[in-house]
Parts: sequence; C-alpha cells; structure tokens
Amino acid sequence: MNKRITRVLRLLFVFLCMNLVWYIVYLLMNHPILPSPGSVYKAMFQLEGREVLLNVGYSLLRILEGVLLALVIGLLIGLLMGRSPLWNKLLDPVVYLTYPIPKIALLPVVMLFFGLGETSKVLMIMLILLFQIIISVRDGVKAIPENTYDVLTSIGAGTVQKFWNVTLPGALSVILSTIRISLGTAISVLFFTEIYGTEHGMGYFIMDAWLRLDYPEMYAGIMLFSLVGFVLFLLVDLLDYKFMKWRR
Amino acid sequence: MSSSRISGLCIQELQVEYKSGQVALGQVNLTLPEHGIYTIIGPSGSGKSTLLRAIAGLLPNYTGELLFNGKPVHDKDILVGLVPQNYGLLPWKTVHGNIQVAMKITGAAGGDKAEREARITHWLSSMGIADLADRYPLSLSGGQQQRVAIARAFAILPQIMLLDEPFSALDAVTREALQQIFLDNWLAHPATALFVTHDVDEAILLGQRIIILPAGKADSIEVLDNAAVFGMKHEEKRGSNEFFEQTKRIRKVMQEKW
Repeated sequence: MNKRITRVLRLLFVFLCMNLVWYIVYLLMNHPILPSPGSVYKAMFQLEGREVLLNVGYSLLRILEGVLLALVIGLLIGLLMGRSPLWNKLLDPVVYLTYPIPKIALLPVVMLFFGLGETSKVLMIMLILLFQIIISVRDGVKAIPENTYDVLTSIGAGTVQKFWNVTLPGALSVILSTIRISLGTAISVLFFTEIYGTEHGMGYFIMDAWLRLDYPEMYAGIMLFSLVGFVLFLLVDLLDYKFMKWRR
Repeated sequence: MSSSRISGLCIQELQVEYKSGQVALGQVNLTLPEHGIYTIIGPSGSGKSTLLRAIAGLLPNYTGELLFNGKPVHDKDILVGLVPQNYGLLPWKTVHGNIQVAMKITGAAGGDKAEREARITHWLSSMGIADLADRYPLSLSGGQQQRVAIARAFAILPQIMLLDEPFSALDAVTREALQQIFLDNWLAHPATALFVTHDVDEAILLGQRIIILPAGKADSIEVLDNAAVFGMKHEEKRGSNEFFEQTKRIRKVMQEKW
C-alpha cells in the first residue's frame, strides 16, 4: 500500500515538473500560440461539462468498439493459426504481406468504402490493432508448451474446455501487452479520423478550437485527450494486475 | 478364455512407432489387476513415457489393444489420472483452481459444488498442503507442486493412475516423504496404477511388481514379483533383506538387458 502511495506521489511530482517546464517556456516565448498552464486549466474548467462528457464519451466508445472488434477477429484468426499448421501456412503469407502496409494510409480508402461516419472510424482503429493482435495471439498460442494440455487431454477435456483453461489464459499476457503497445497508435488514428465527418469526439474538439484560434481551449482539449489515453492505459494495467497475478 | 474378460488393465501387443517409422516402444503384453500398482523401470529411450502416453490417450498412433475391464481404455467412462514429471499444473490457476478444473471436466462429485469443495479440501489436507490452496504454482517448490499434481490425480477418483517419473526432479528427503504420502493414499484408494521411475529403490518401494523395459526394442520385458517387499511396512522396507535381494536381482537384469 505504501509503495503505491509513493508511486502516485512520484507521478504527481513529475506532472508538476512538466507544468513548471511548460511555464518557463511560456515566459521565455511570450507569444499567444503557447498559453500559460494557468490559462489552459482555467479554460478547461470553463468548458461545459455536458459537452466535454459527450466528446470524451464518443472518443472512448469508438476506441472501445475498435478494440473489441479487433480482439474478437484477431483472437479467432490468431488461434486458428496458432493451433493449426495448415491454417498457419495459408494465412501466414496474407498477414506477412499486409502487416507492413501503413494502415493510416488506408484512411481515404476506408472512408470511400464506408463513408465519413462512425463505421470508418471504428474500422480504422480495428485495422491498426488487428494485425498485431493476430501475430501476438498466434505466437502466444504457439509458445504454450504442448504438454500443458496433457493432463486435461488425458481426462477427456473437449476443445472448448482446453481453450478456456489453457489456450486463452496462456496467450492472455501477450494479448494484454499488444493492446498496451497498440493502444497509443489507436488513439493517434482516432484523432485523424475525428477531424472529418463528425461533430463529436476529442479530435473534433481540438481542431475546432484550433480553427477558432482559441488556443487555451485547444490545449485544454489536448490535455483532456491525453487524460483519456492515460485512463485507458490504467485500465490495461488493471486487467494485467487482475489476470497476471500468477506470474508474480 | 477371452482376454477381454480379464479384469484390470490389459495391454495387448502394444507397439508405437514414431512418424519416421522408428520404433518408440517394442511389443508390450501386460496385464495389471484392478487395484494393483506396478512400477516400470527402464533406460532412457526405452519407451517408458511412451507407454504411459499411449494409455493416457495422448498418442493417436499405436497398434495393439488397450483394455480396462474389457472396455477400451479411451472409453468415456474410464478416467485416467495422470501425474507427469513436470507436474502438469496450469500456472495461471491457483492450487485450488487446478484441482477444481480437473474435477469440473470429469464431472467428479456429480457437479455438486459443496461436495466438490469438500473433496478438494480433503485431498489438499491429505497431501499436507491445505494452507497452499490460494497460491499459484510458480510460487511453490517442486515438492509442493508435485503434491498438488498428486492431489489432483486422486481427486477425480480415476480407475487408472499413471505416474511418469513424478519424483525424479525432487531432492532425496522430499522424494521419500512424497513416496510415503503417495503410497498411503494409494492404499486408501487403490486405483490401477502404473508408476514409471528411473530409480531402482523407488521401483522396489512402490510396486507390487516391477516391470523392467529392455534397452533393445526387440528384447522381451522382464517382470519381477515384488509382493514380499510390498507387503511390509513402508518404513521397514529399505532395511530389509528382501529389499537388498530385489536390488541385486534388478541390477542383474539391468546388466543383461541395458
């Protein structure tokens, strides 16, 4: 418990230092494109609560949908490739060829096919995450020693039982670390997709403030967006803590 | 008399080949009475583990017949409790969870939750690890993990128990304590048991008969009767004359066949 408090204190201290650096730069620059921390926080607290909630909610929902979709599809394909050599041989070239494509470059294509609405935003996030999840699930499943299944096989466990008791928990740690790594990319992509065709979401909010030359509000939006990312990161940490107890 | 009427585990003309066509296990003919325990000893590569894996249903490709009380061993209602050398515990489940999942899969205790919990508690305490129920396997010592694996094998109340060098990774003191615990529990719940070991002493201490696998696949299996030692009190076995005689006999077979 004490450790946790010192960790939180350390984080707070670093946060304060960053604000201090920001303030010093602000003093040195003395230009409206970089407002002082104080005026940004003031702008943040002057925002209408309902509006902020709506924007944050939209962004979170898109990320959540994209992550879930990528998880479901990625788990299925990754498991198939991890457990069956035949499927691995068939799908490996596909993954190998499509993995290096910078998915963000597909943004216009996705928008052409699925319009400017919600679908294309969620699909973009899914595309970013999907291939990394497939690859990590496949490798994670392959890394489970074959004899881990022995005892369950000998007592007549079925495929589903083996999946829930061995394959999924065995691959979970790689899945969690993949999500942690690709979450950052997913949030960046979300920002891009929210510039177009929507009037909700943090990306829209930030660009809107930028166009209105309301810099304190723009920075406030960036801070809030970062906060959303931070909360998502904490969420993954929480899942890790809950499901990875056995490794400690 | 048809062999299918023999009670116990009946292994007929069992032979296992690797995919390359190389023989992994030469022909084995063996009958183990129900409620009997035989130890198997043999040099590395003689097919000890292969034999157990075939009975456990982990090898799809073998020729010959495996029957238990006249029914195929891989029948749904014949339960096999396996204790592998690496303990075979799921690291992401607690001690309690490991036993629970095995009982759930086999439908032990008739799916009754209270009954299942009572049995888990019973087996954990008879293995002397009741206080470890909520720990994860990676935080346990080898001896403790093997106790869990044995508790799990007993908890599903199997007709057949297969133990693949369960104590070979443990230090001598822990090994002897576990041999005693295992035997006590087996005597209370005598499943048909095959116990593979590479330790001559262990083979004599735990088996009613001792099966010696030859190094050459074409050679025949040697079966030694060990009833004299098996009938003694466990703590008196090691000092007895019969134990010493048995050791000499096994060493002689080992010299000839290994």
